Formats: sequence, C-alpha cells, structure tokens
Amino acid sequence: MSLSKKIAAVLAIAVAAMLPSFWSNPYYIHLMVVIGIYAILLLGLDIVVGYVGEVSLGHAALFGVGSYAAGVLHAKLAMPFLLAVPGSIVITGLFGALLALPALRVSGPYLAMVTLAFGTIIQILINEMDFLTNGPLGLSVRKPVWFGHHISGTEYYYVVLVALIATLFVIQRILKSHLGRAFEALHDSPIASDCMGVSVYGYKVYAFVLSAAFAGLAGSLFTYSEEYISPNTYNFELTILFLLAVIMGGRKTRTGPILGAIIVVMLPNVLSDIDLFREISIGIAVLTAVYAVYAFVTRQRTAKQLALPLAATIALAVSGFMMDNITDHRLTIFGAMILFVVYYLPNGIMGFLRGIILKFRPQWIHRHTLIGEHGDTQHVWAVPDHAVTANGFLLEARNIVMQFGGLKALSEVNLQISKGTVHGLIGPNGSGKSTTMNVLTGIYKPTSGEIEFNGKLITGATPSSIAGEGIARTFQNVQLFGEMTAIENVLVGLHHTYRHSIIDVVFNTPRCKREKHAAEVRAASLLRFVGLEDLANEEARNLPYGKQRLLEIARALALNPSLLLLDEPAAGLTAPDIKELIAMIDKIRSHGITVILIEHHMDVVMSICDKVTVLDFGQKIAEGTPAEIQSNEKVIGAYLGGA
Amino acid sequence: MDVFIQLVVSGIALGMIYALIAFGYQLTFATSGTLNFGQGEALMLGALVGLTLVGHMSYWLMLPLVLAFGALQGVVVERVGVRPAIKTKSEFGWIMTTISLAIIFKNVAENIWGHDDIPFPSPLPTEPLQFFGIHILPMEIMVVVGALALMLAVEIFNRKSIYGKAVVATSNDRDAAGLMGINTSMVITFSYALSSMTAAFAGVLVAPLTLTGATMGVSLGLKAFAVAIIGGLNSGLGVIVGGLILGIAETTTGYYVSTGYKDVPGLVLLLLVLSIKPAGIFGKSVIKKV
Repeated sequence: MSLSKKIAAVLAIAVAAMLPSFWSNPYYIHLMVVIGIYAILLLGLDIVVGYVGEVSLGHAALFGVGSYAAGVLHAKLAMPFLLAVPGSIVITGLFGALLALPALRVSGPYLAMVTLAFGTIIQILINEMDFLTNGPLGLSVRKPVWFGHHISGTEYYYVVLVALIATLFVIQRILKSHLGRAFEALHDSPIASDCMGVSVYGYKVYAFVLSAAFAGLAGSLFTYSEEYISPNTYNFELTILFLLAVIMGGRKTRTGPILGAIIVVMLPNVLSDIDLFREISIGIAVLTAVYAVYAFVTRQRTAKQLALPLAATIALAVSGFMMDNITDHRLTIFGAMILFVVYYLPNGIMGFLRGIILKFRPQWIHRHTLIGEHGDTQHVWAVPDHAVTANGFLLEARNIVMQFGGLKALSEVNLQISKGTVHGLIGPNGSGKSTTMNVLTGIYKPTSGEIEFNGKLITGATPSSIAGEGIARTFQNVQLFGEMTAIENVLVGLHHTYRHSIIDVVFNTPRCKREKHAAEVRAASLLRFVGLEDLANEEARNLPYGKQRLLEIARALALNPSLLLLDEPAAGLTAPDIKELIAMIDKIRSHGITVILIEHHMDVVMSICDKVTVLDFGQKIAEGTPAEIQSNEKVIGAYLGGA
Repeated sequence: MDVFIQLVVSGIALGMIYALIAFGYQLTFATSGTLNFGQGEALMLGALVGLTLVGHMSYWLMLPLVLAFGALQGVVVERVGVRPAIKTKSEFGWIMTTISLAIIFKNVAENIWGHDDIPFPSPLPTEPLQFFGIHILPMEIMVVVGALALMLAVEIFNRKSIYGKAVVATSNDRDAAGLMGINTSMVITFSYALSSMTAAFAGVLVAPLTLTGATMGVSLGLKAFAVAIIGGLNSGLGVIVGGLILGIAETTTGYYVSTGYKDVPGLVLLLLVLSIKPAGIFGKSVIKKV
C-alpha cells in the first residue's frame, strides 16, 4: 500500500471511530452498526461476484445461517460471544462448502440456481426446526457481557468496527496474495488456469467458502446487534439488496462494498419517505441530464445511446409525483435500480469514479503492483516437483481413441516419448495434433486408451492434477491471463511453489515473505530467459502476438515441468525470433526437460527434433528421425496430396 | 398402499407442471445459453391475465389470448434483459436483469391484482373421478395431457419446420448459424417468446388446481430449476422424468414426513444429482473445444 493510501485508511478509521460522538442517537448508531455488518458480508460476497465471477443468490441465507448459528450456540449451549462468533463462522463456511462442492462442478448458471433454491430451503428449515430455532417465534439473544459489564449499543458499534477493519485487512491480504491471483486467473482464462495447476473448481469452491465464512461473521454480529432474530429477515429481497450493493458500490474494490452497504441500508429509509424520494429522483435526473449534455457535446456518446437512460431517470422523477404511496412500489424501484446499474454503471460507483480519475490523473491509479525484481540466469531452472523416475519412456500413450460424436479425431494413436528428447508432432491441418495435446493434458478425456506418464497412469485425471504431475503446455490460440501483467502471468505458473497457508498470508509470516520473494526472482529470471525482462509489468493483452507466445513458454516453464508441450510456438515470430526460439528449445532440452513440439515451420522441426511423429486424419502414419520423415512417401503424400 | 398410489397420481400432475416450466428453461438455454430467472413470474402473469379474461369469456377462448400474452412478455424480457447482456457476454448481467425484471413483474402484479390469492374457476367438473379407489381430478388429467401436447408441438415444430431448423442450428452453434444467414438474435427472441408462452400456459393449467396470486410463481419457478438440473438442461425426456421424480417426491414427503418439509427434497435431489452426474440424469455432458 502506498503512503497516501495508508494515511487515507488511518483517517477513515479515525473518522469512523468518532462518528458515535456526532450521532449519539441510538437509531443512528444502530444504522451504522448494520452498515458495518453488511459491509463485512459484502466484502466477502465481492470475492465470489467480483473476483471469481460467479453469482450467488444465497448470501442472505448464509447470513441467516450465521445469525442462527450464533443464536443457537448462545441460547441453547450458552456459549459466550467470543466462542459463538467463530463457531458460526465455521458452521456457515461448512454450509458454503455443501453448496459449492456440487454446484461448481459444472460451469454455467448452476451456482446461481442452487443458491437460489438454498435461500428458500433455509427459510423453511429455520421455520420448521423449532426445537433449535424456536421456529417463527424467533430467538432472543442478549449483547455480550464482558468483565461484568453489559455491552451497550455504542460499545457494540466499536466491536463491529473492529470486525470490519479486521475483515478489510484480511481480505486485502488474501486478494493481494497468490490466492487472489488464482481467483483472478481462473476468471480470466479457466483453461490456462487449470493447465497451470490452479484448479478452477478447487479455487472457486475455496472462494465461495471464504465468502460464506464472512457471511457467517456478519450474521453472528447481526444476531447480537438485533438481540432478536426471526426467519423472515433472511429472504430473497435481502439477497437482491446484497447483490445490488456489491454492483452499485463497485466490484473488485474494498471501498465499493462499504459504499454499497451505506446505500442499501439507507435505501429503505429513503423509500419510506415520498418527499425525500422525490428530491433524490429529481437530483438523479438533473445529474443524468448534465452528464448526457456533456457526453453528447464531447461526442463520447450518441444521442441514441443517451436517450434511454435520460428518459428512464426523468420517468423515475415524474413517477415520484404520480404515486402517493411509495412502499407498494419498492420492489419495482429495486428492480429498476439493478437494471440501471447493470447497463449503465457496470463497474459501480467506485469504478465510475476510478474511470474519471484515470482520465484526468492516470498517475494516481495503479492497476497492478509493480514488481521490480531483476532476474538472473541462475534462477531460471529448478528441480521438478516430481523427480523423473520412469525407465525408458517418459510418456507413453497407448491406443488413444478420441471421438466427438461420429467423428474420430484420433484413432488408435500410440505415442512414446523418450526422456530428454524433443519430439516433433506434425501433420496437415485437422490431423489431430492439437487434439493429442488436449488429451495428454486432460482437457479431453479420451474415449478409450491409456496414458502413462512418469510411471503413473494419468488417463482421466483433471488438467490441474496432470499439470501438478509435471506436464506444462502452451496453447495454439494464446491463452494468457490478459488483464494481468507479464510477470503476474508467470507467477500463476509458479503457484505450486507457494506452500504456505492462508494463515501465513493473513499474518504475512516470514515464510510467506520468503516464498513470495523467491517466486518473484524466479519469475523475473524466466522472463529474462525468454527475452521479456523489459515488459515485466506490461499487461499481457497489450503484448504483440509473438511476445505473447514467448510469455506462454515462460509461464509453462514456471511449472517446473518434466514434459513441456509446445503448440506452434513459432507462429507469429519473425525469422530472427525463430532462431532464438530454436536456441531456447535447445536450452530447455539441455536442462533435462522433455519437449513435444507441434509446429508447421518445417525448418524448426527438422533442425531441432530428435524424433518426429506424423499424424494424418487422426492416425499415425509415420515416425522416425527428421531425415527419415523427410523422405517418407506417406508423409509427402499427406502433405502434397496424391498417392 | 392406496394412499401411496394416490400420492403418486397427485405427484404426476404436479410434476408435469414442473416439467412444463423446466421445458421453458431448456428452450432459451439451448439457443442462447441463458435462462429466465423470472420464469415463475411469467407463469404467474399468465395465470392472472387468464383470470381477468376468464371473467369475460370461456376458458377455452381465453387460452390463445394468454398464450399470445405470454409470448409478448417473453419478447419484452429478451429485449430488455437478455439481449444487451448477451452482447457483453456477461453471465452476471443476464442473471441480474432477469431477476430484476421478475421482481418488477411481481410487484406490478401485486399492485394490480392485490396481495391475496384468488381462486381460479375450473373449466372442468371439480368432482374427482374414481379409478379403483383412486381419486383423480379431471383438471389433473388435463394438466398432464396439455403439458405433453405443448412439449410435443414444440418438438415437432423444431424437427419438421424450416424455422425449427433455424432454432436447432442456433442451439448447436450460434456463430456458425449466424454465418449461414440465420438471424440468430431473432431466433433467441423467438425462443424467449416460446419459453414465456409455455410458462403462461402452465400458469392457466395449474391455476384451477391451486390459487392464483402474485407470489404463486416463485416456488414453481424454483422447483422447475431443480427439475431442469435433475433431468439435464439439454434433455427433453429429462425434464419429464425429473418433473415426475420431484412431483412424487414432494407429495410423498408432504404426507409421510410433514407438509412443512415438502419443498426440501427438491434441493436435496438437486445437490445429489450435481454431485453424482452434473449434466443431469439424461443430460449429455458437453465437451468444450479448446
């Protein structure tokens, strides 16, 4: 964190700590407590919604689980506050795991659907299980007694404030660590993430459970704040409010959820007072009109683009005067707000402000932490995590068949890769080269046949576990984490070298610092090896195509592979670059890494490969040394047509 | 034993309603990879519009009008909620917009038709028929027949007509279909119209058996989610079987355990199916091409 940010944080905490002396009215204090509690939940929800990109419609229910866990632990087991809160964090986390483990197995809207169902079920369960929860009657809880002193409303505000600061601190640390980087990577390119050993499924579940744990903390604090809980609080409307808060405040920020919490806590108050609503809706309409005129005059937006939001906000202001009772239309207004935010404020209020600052003072905003390590030549290579123990062949694929519907992309392909060689895989387009890659790395499960790698059967294993065994790859159509810098891309590849736990992350232990430093030096060295040391802090999507391919090689090497699969690495490279690439592959081989090379540049294949396999229409038609292949009639036939 | 058979029979009628709504989810999921989180509200609107119309005309005359209304409502959802989100490829976007449209529809319905549940006049005799001691309401038979007939009609349309082929082509590969000159965004709009029409039809089918009201769609829409996942989001047979499984599971749980718990098997089945066979009992798992 920069110095100015630190000062701002300290000032904000000081202001928050002094607020109760300005607003000593218990009603305001209670509102601030609820804001703090919601902010804790929203910071957690943002991990799922903002970072991992999944939609949870069950956070109100998880909040309820947290509340009731604390309530039951307190009322039935007489647990003190300091035990009931951690207890409810753990219980809510377990509920989160129960939902996430099945729901995240498939990509698509499943998590949203399952969590929505969970929301309804939890309300039913709380109502029905009256032996635990007192059913619809609700549970009464008293605020904690510490040192013989019963905590007052104002004192409880400080309890919540401490919890909020702790939450901010912990979440900030987690998101800035290798865990946060894993969350962003899997959102950016799931396939690349899996192939770098960062299991998309595993880390999505991890993120959801973390998020549920914070919902549990918020829920338990809520129980003690309200001193009475009943099932109806945790309904679908609350879930919608939470999501509105996260997207309106601004995803992927720490300030956004806090702002969002303030908005949604104040919203019901605004919506119960028709006069206030009228004033605010006029204000919004005027602001939109000003912005529309500005955007139109500066030609950022066309009149057509501006007409709809302008009409909508004016309609909102007019409707304020047409209705006499606003509570009946509350949900319509929520719905309209969500539509508005999704379409016109997709990055939320904080994102919008950021955009403005970025325009006028770009130097104020650092999108990425700059990593200034300089690599050297000693830290490029490391021992593979799994030593090569196989005798003879490092990888052996036996009778691989890969069928897509009626099409046999690979039929009965056998492949034997000797240790320490560069093995070329060539063939005309559509011959099954990339399919072979995808089968070897677990992206496709072969219809039949088996693959043995390093003495171990890996057929049917997940891409991330195959990556963990020591097979790294690059992709024919580049799969970088576009929004990350070059060095961050390599650091995702080095994810497996971070052995420390989340506890180390939170407390920034020496072990955490040591591993982080080692990884950064290594990443810088790998970038240097592929010649990208000057572009370390450049976003990957801004790199030219050829450099992106080199970056993929660096990232793959970060995995400490014993087998490296290169899918058309020379595509997009200039002639001098290709020479360097050949030298690079040669060096990779000399460090004991076996390489499978798919390439259309025959000069590359012929100059570096020890052995070449030729595929055509999913079948192996030839295998041998480059010289043998060049004179093989079948191969010539396949490439040039004819007999 | 008689009680059990009676429960199964009632479960079948309920299950067919779930199947019909779930079928609506499949229609839009196939063409656009999105689904309407307000499907339950489409059903509710269909039922309430039907209720208003039935005051002025016969049930049978009202049906085509409700179907037309449903289709129109689907077009609105697609244009306002889904199309912009598909353009930005934002899953979060369409989930949030269809939900917000759903709560707007529900709120508007509450303001028009009130908060109370209203009985829907049954077009068929309400005296149960007796078969070997099992009671069956004529309306229950109509639910099963009507649901099957509509699903069959859509299937035949997709398989036999040229427009149906456009729908199937879009489902298989939206980009390729677009390149072949199919107006895929039109197809998606059409699938939403069809989907909401199905839901509105389910609404007027189920209304005489239950009550009509602004909140009637919420739990039906949710159960149909479970059915769509249990059966498989891409299997027509799956939703029917899934619907029957859930319908029967609910009536039996309601009787043997407690009516309070009758909504629970849905989620339990949902989690079980996702853990064992995530693509659904009859679903095909899709291989993602890299």
